[in-house]
Amino acid sequence: MNRRVVITGMGVVAPAGIGKEAFWDSISGGISAVRSIEGFDASAYRTRIAAQVRDFDPSAYLTPQKIYATDRFSQFALVATAEAMSESGIIVDEQNRKRVGVIWGSSEAGTVTKEEGYRAFFTEGPKKVDSMTLPRAMGVAAASNLSIEYGAAGVNYTITNTCSTGAVAIGEAYRLIKHGYADVIITGASEAPITPGMLCGWCKLRVLSTRNDEPETAVRPFSKDRDGPVLGEGCGALILETLEGAVSRSAPVYAEIVGYCSNSDAYHLTFPDVQGETEVMEGALADGGISAGEVDYINAHGTASHANDKGETEAIKNAFGEHARGIPVSSTKSMIGHLLGAAGAVEIITTVLAVKNQFLPPTANYQVPDPECDLDYVPNKGREHRIGVAMSNSFGFGGANAAMLLREFT
Amino acid sequence: MDKAQRRVVVTGLGLITPIGSTKDDYWRAVTNGVSGVRELTRFDTSAFRTKIAATVEDFQPEDFIEPKKIRRMDRFARMAVAATAMALEDSGLELTDEVKRGTGVILGSGGGGIISHEDAAEALFTRGHRHVDTLAVALVMPNAGSSHICMEFGFQGISYCLSTACASGTHAIGESYQKIKHGYADIMVTGGAEAPISVVHFTAWDKLRAMSTQNDVPEKAIKPFSKNRDGLVLGEGAGILVLESLEHARRRSARVYGEIIGYGSSSDAYHLTFPNLDQEVAAIRMAVSDAGIGPDEIDYINAHGTATPANDKVETQSIKAVFGEKASSIPISSTKSMIGHPLGAAGAIELITCLLAFENSFIPPTINYEVEDPECDLDYVPNSGRSSAVETAMSSSFGFGGTNAVLIARRLEEAGN
Repeated sequence: MNRRVVITGMGVVAPAGIGKEAFWDSISGGISAVRSIEGFDASAYRTRIAAQVRDFDPSAYLTPQKIYATDRFSQFALVATAEAMSESGIIVDEQNRKRVGVIWGSSEAGTVTKEEGYRAFFTEGPKKVDSMTLPRAMGVAAASNLSIEYGAAGVNYTITNTCSTGAVAIGEAYRLIKHGYADVIITGASEAPITPGMLCGWCKLRVLSTRNDEPETAVRPFSKDRDGPVLGEGCGALILETLEGAVSRSAPVYAEIVGYCSNSDAYHLTFPDVQGETEVMEGALADGGISAGEVDYINAHGTASHANDKGETEAIKNAFGEHARGIPVSSTKSMIGHLLGAAGAVEIITTVLAVKNQFLPPTANYQVPDPECDLDYVPNKGREHRIGVAMSNSFGFGGANAAMLLREFT
Repeated sequence: MDKAQRRVVVTGLGLITPIGSTKDDYWRAVTNGVSGVRELTRFDTSAFRTKIAATVEDFQPEDFIEPKKIRRMDRFARMAVAATAMALEDSGLELTDEVKRGTGVILGSGGGGIISHEDAAEALFTRGHRHVDTLAVALVMPNAGSSHICMEFGFQGISYCLSTACASGTHAIGESYQKIKHGYADIMVTGGAEAPISVVHFTAWDKLRAMSTQNDVPEKAIKPFSKNRDGLVLGEGAGILVLESLEHARRRSARVYGEIIGYGSSSDAYHLTFPNLDQEVAAIRMAVSDAGIGPDEIDYINAHGTATPANDKVETQSIKAVFGEKASSIPISSTKSMIGHPLGAAGAIELITCLLAFENSFIPPTINYEVEDPECDLDYVPNSGRSSAVETAMSSSFGFGGTNAVLIARRLEEAGN
């Protein structure tokens, strides 16, 4: 039983805006959301800039009880999913609830809560650790809260796969519907990793940009003067359902998921591998029965690390051959930073919005051509473009890669 | 890709548990009712209600992993890699380039690199950021387990970490089963690994008041289904299984422990830490239906059996709701009475227990069963195991967050069927 799977609702909480409309306005306009870090003293760290969701006020969306019981990553999930659910118009009731699942993603889960627990323990002692620490921090917290919020009683699990987390969650959700294990799935990913401890850990790896004096132009994917990503935070939520179900209830359809593949480099914990990336793109094309020439846009992993952008460019050339030069490729991390586990989810939403609006969001901050990165990166300015099929790439630490193909729904 | 539904079998087992870190040692202990619960000496427990845990004392990572790699792995990842080495050896699978290319890894872990996270936080908050390990991010990330397995053995297929708290291992095996069933892989390495016994994580558990406080006689602390039960005890360990399509296993004449025939999962949509009868029933029914068997064909249940008052009562009700009159004649045991609760690794170790029950025609006991509970009135195989042919077994995991997962495995009839 292979069923067609479509997207009928999307919601975003991102540094560039809360809500899809604000988000798309910023992203399509090439506006960076990277700023000096607020909320804690980052002065001791190499990198003191990040893409934060600065105007997120949970009390505007959630009850005090819910806020008390949840970490920031679950709050993002609840807010973005509310937008997606409302847009899709799906009603979860006694008849369908066991066929409505939640496949969520988060790489770090309740970072804010965990760190507060550690801080309390190590500076004030065990008695000061909050008794809600575990339920707030645990990896399943967001998925469980979503399931409780909407009464979704079907399959429910959480993927954690560093930077490819969101793409794998959405990809697995797609397969579960395709093979008949659920009819509707609330999917996506959320991450809230901008805390002193996480920033410290990432600074130690020396992969983040250190352009602290020019935050808005710090992240420069595919530009020769790139020096890494910055941390971002946020959430992308999607409602997936069978084409049949969407049509029968006359739901709005954004796009169809037509191909997905995930694999492992088996190579290095933090270094990319061109072969694994090539194969994951080829795998997605094969899964969807889509030829290289049919792809009109690629939303790149594009972290702005030296190795990633060079490797990804090479892998795109390997996978798309003669077509590579004609396919616009952009990295929206240039504007919203790296949302870690949530990156793939927000980027798949960006890709769908590009298809929906027939408009290519740009790679911001592209300044110096790099002979090793010689594709069309939609530099600095978005443009209208005919997009029938688009790909979104996610390549994670630990060598976990994922690629997804989305097709215009007409 | 051939998406025709294929049969899925288990051809290799590896585990690390508080009562034995080889398959044979584990089976000897679990059939003899040995408890792995001890007084906790890794850190000062004076501030805690609970002062006991089921710890693994005999695990030597250098027996399995090169010294320079050990430093780059958290304890949970070391256990995952070591258990995988044992499972692969047990399977006799030859790691050719073709096998490496196609083999996928789905590992369950509730918390990932908990000990490394705590080390980094301790450095940050007591000595300053300069003392944080440069590899902290890579040590802590939950997918370090699946990634290290891929890197150590060269696996290039599907790879991810799945997290559903106490049900992680069961979900990981179930999702792997579906991957082979639908033709996305021929071979999957799967299971769970968890090393959660560190002081801050323990503090958070202590605050939840879900752990037993029977500190004076640790080996008798966990009393699943017994009226005087008072909660779980944290455990640690790993359970890894090699799954293959039946066709692939037959082609290489592999020894087969059993076939995975059913998987069901559901969400309570109810409460973060309290079990829900209807949705446990839904997960069990889904697994039975997926297996295409009648409820009367199950002849052993390895229970979630955490020994919390709520879990054991609701789990008993769910078994009765699904199996009806037959429920009282199905032997049910809780391996957690001996190994504690290794969270994300629990489901994997418990399914392995079912597979070893097939092989040995023996049902391990629920130890520390002392006082009958009218609300738990089934056959829990109290205190001593028994010889009995086991053809079809079910393993259940009901996790925090309300995530339920159930697997059904069957002894494979001799080749030719």
